[in-house]
Amino acid sequence: MNIKNTGVWRFFSSIKLAIWLLGVISFCSLIGTLIPQGETSEFYISKVGQVGYDLIMRAGFDRLYYSWWFILFLFALALNLAVCLVNKLPLRAVKLGSFISHLSILVILLGAAIGLVFGEKEYVAIDKGKAINSFVYKGRSVDLGFSLRLDDFVYTEHIDPKEKLLVCESDSGAETHGGMGAHAGMAMPGNGPKVIAEVPTDVGVETAVADTGYRVKILRYLPDFAMDTATKTATSRSFEPNNPAVEVQFTDKAGKVSRFWVFARFPDMHQKTDQNFRFLYRWVGRMPKDYISRVTVLKGTTEVVKKDIRVNEPLSYGGYKFFQSSYDTEALNWTGLQVVRDPGVPVVYAGFLLLIAGVIIIFYVNPVVKRS
Amino acid sequence: MATLFLNAGFGLYFLSVVFYAADTFFGKKFLPALARGAVIAGITFISAYLVIRWQIAGRPPFSNMFESLVVFGWAIAIVAVFVDLRYKSRPIAMGAVLVSLLALGYAALLDKTITPLLPALKSNWLTIHVLTCFIGYAALTVSFVSSAVLLVRKDEDENLDTISYRMIAFGFLFLTLGIISGSVWANSAWGTYWSWDPKETWSLITWFIYAIYLHQRTRKGWRGKKVAWVSVVGFMAMVFTYFGVNYLLKGLHSYGR
Repeated sequence: MNIKNTGVWRFFSSIKLAIWLLGVISFCSLIGTLIPQGETSEFYISKVGQVGYDLIMRAGFDRLYYSWWFILFLFALALNLAVCLVNKLPLRAVKLGSFISHLSILVILLGAAIGLVFGEKEYVAIDKGKAINSFVYKGRSVDLGFSLRLDDFVYTEHIDPKEKLLVCESDSGAETHGGMGAHAGMAMPGNGPKVIAEVPTDVGVETAVADTGYRVKILRYLPDFAMDTATKTATSRSFEPNNPAVEVQFTDKAGKVSRFWVFARFPDMHQKTDQNFRFLYRWVGRMPKDYISRVTVLKGTTEVVKKDIRVNEPLSYGGYKFFQSSYDTEALNWTGLQVVRDPGVPVVYAGFLLLIAGVIIIFYVNPVVKRS
Repeated sequence: MATLFLNAGFGLYFLSVVFYAADTFFGKKFLPALARGAVIAGITFISAYLVIRWQIAGRPPFSNMFESLVVFGWAIAIVAVFVDLRYKSRPIAMGAVLVSLLALGYAALLDKTITPLLPALKSNWLTIHVLTCFIGYAALTVSFVSSAVLLVRKDEDENLDTISYRMIAFGFLFLTLGIISGSVWANSAWGTYWSWDPKETWSLITWFIYAIYLHQRTRKGWRGKKVAWVSVVGFMAMVFTYFGVNYLLKGLHSYGR
């Protein structure tokens, strides 16, 4: 009996089924964008309660796109496509575009399946100065065949051109006159204290304060200033800009040096060191510029490759790729990398090319051919 | 200075809509030419604005909602001129320029400050990805205008159906290119070409709906109002992919606010 005469074959040949499957997969995907995916049980319980959580877990809504029924729909679509492709055989030139564009979807799904079955994708954290030579994937240890050491992690920020350290005339003089005039805003209506110089806040740069003969140098920048009471040293609690501060080195005409902190959020808090000046830190908001993991690949003790991993610039070595994924926001002492080995990627990319070629042939080659 | 170009573009689009509208009422021969001239001049000014902003920022001007809206308004107007010249359908061209105007008007309400590029966006894929997506969005928007006009009219105009179809065919190709370029970029930035992030998922939903449109039209022979409804649903999904995901859902594309 010819398989093409069976009811099953006819069922999977129909365009109607394809339309229904596209609709159902779209609808399920939509649900998946409304329910946060891959969260913890605590998260779901706090949002929808125990009963809602049980329902979500039973239906697999927490990992919807990997649930058995979603995969089943994709599989049915693949079967539908495969049957339609076979029905198009033997291939005629007019059907070429349609054939390869539909084939491409199968190729992409095949590539994805290869990746899921044979690939490895895991997140690893490496401490500064330490190395890893394996990672745990789905409960088993995967040997890299080399080790990867984090030499340094560098985080840089864009400093807004408007961010400046303002050196102002001290209003302490006005204070002696007493009364409301002591308030800077009252002495110079609407302007605050008189600004003598605006100094850029790049660390390590020394700038002259206009023509006063004084010099200012920024020693350090801390986004989240905190004083460690035990060691009496200034540290940053995190890399979140909760309390941005700069340490300033101030040199007077005679060469006398003083050091103090100026806070963006607390303009009155800095230690007054010079009676003639007042310092204000105009902080605008810094944006991340680069996250760089400086790493070395080692075979035994031999250094093989050195590389700066950035977002969009992964390290490729030994069949694995390492992507910048997260970092230690408190002390920059570790980096989080995504380790990936995905043999399905070339297949998926081949599918992408077929899809583009197929769509172009259908809409822009076939009409031209037909006309001529 | 640069903002002047943007405002000039906005003004010219507005003039173009006025000329198109006057044309439907008075039908004077010179009005369509004026409307076309105004929108082409408008496109020139917006192009200049984008080039200048690119130069000042030292990076492609495709990084946030404001910049994307300007690109959107720029691309739709180009498609509008094409529809006017190729399909001789001035009402659709007018509708499209009107949507461009809305996009630029919305952009005017947003923060224009040039901010540095986030590390995730520092890639040559940015230009390819954003341009393909927005060329696709623009064509799909024009197909929506055509389908919507077709739906409100009593008679079924075959030309409107053809415009919808041609624009969807073109938009579908560019949506495909946009999704694929985004996928390849994601793989080179994060090591995964598809992560079911809301933006990705919604772009796929949009792609599926237009795939349904194309199958129903070419295989089932749907024409006119019947298939125009699919185009409208597809457009709604596209709008949600563009705006809804950014404002309502969390995900990897959150810099697009």
